[in-house]
Amino acid sequence: MSITRVFPIFAAAFAIVYVVSVEVNWALVTYHPRINEWEWLTRPAKSGLPMYWYGWLGTSFLAASAISLLALPLTRRWSPPVWIGWAVPLAVMLVFVYLLRSFFLR
Amino acid sequence: MFTTLLIIHGLLAVALLGSITHQTAAACWPATSKSSFISSFRGVAGARYTVANIILYIVTGVLGAVIYTVYRIAVRPYLETAQLWTVNGSFEVKEQFVAIGLGMLPLYWMVWRTPLDAKLASARAAITAILCFIVWYSFLVGHVLNNVRGLFGR
Repeated sequence: MSITRVFPIFAAAFAIVYVVSVEVNWALVTYHPRINEWEWLTRPAKSGLPMYWYGWLGTSFLAASAISLLALPLTRRWSPPVWIGWAVPLAVMLVFVYLLRSFFLR
Repeated sequence: MFTTLLIIHGLLAVALLGSITHQTAAACWPATSKSSFISSFRGVAGARYTVANIILYIVTGVLGAVIYTVYRIAVRPYLETAQLWTVNGSFEVKEQFVAIGLGMLPLYWMVWRTPLDAKLASARAAITAILCFIVWYSFLVGHVLNNVRGLFGR
């Protein structure tokens, strides 16, 4: 059982969890750049705009790793198609363009 | 210090841009001979670029994440005050694309493992082309942002 068999699942899960994390704001950490302070999970602004991007990456990495580990036993009998590993991220990229369209339509 | 990091970030991005463009050309439009400049450009051994591209992508991304704090404090408020919404939005898109690309790196490594699996040729081309697009888009947006006051200053 090779761990590389779950890499398509990891790529797809990472992209899906990432877009959900951004939309729902599930950040593993919050960074306040003006006061150089880190906090666990999603926290409101303290001084200036907080940064959640690092937290969204952390959430996505952990969740995609967990999903991949859970899927690992399944790949003994079923080989996940490689195309999900690029088609899902590509679709999520298009979703982001749609979600951020207001910047370009002003 | 941040200016130095920004320059290193830009130089690594240039290296990644060249490397992944070569690999994408080799994957999407392979050449058998090297009789011209174009066919030589396409005729590289794509698999040899994989590990370098992964390292360059991660290191460039980490440097970008470090200098992102300065962008958030100094540049983004300017973009909002100057109402440069398209430039601002382009960066928002960039940060999301780069993140999605990070999640694709293990699969990218898998499809380029040697000996190359012929059944994965189309996946190899698609994944490499997506990463190449992300790198080109990020580079161009970063380049415009570095020069935003000169290009759009009011």
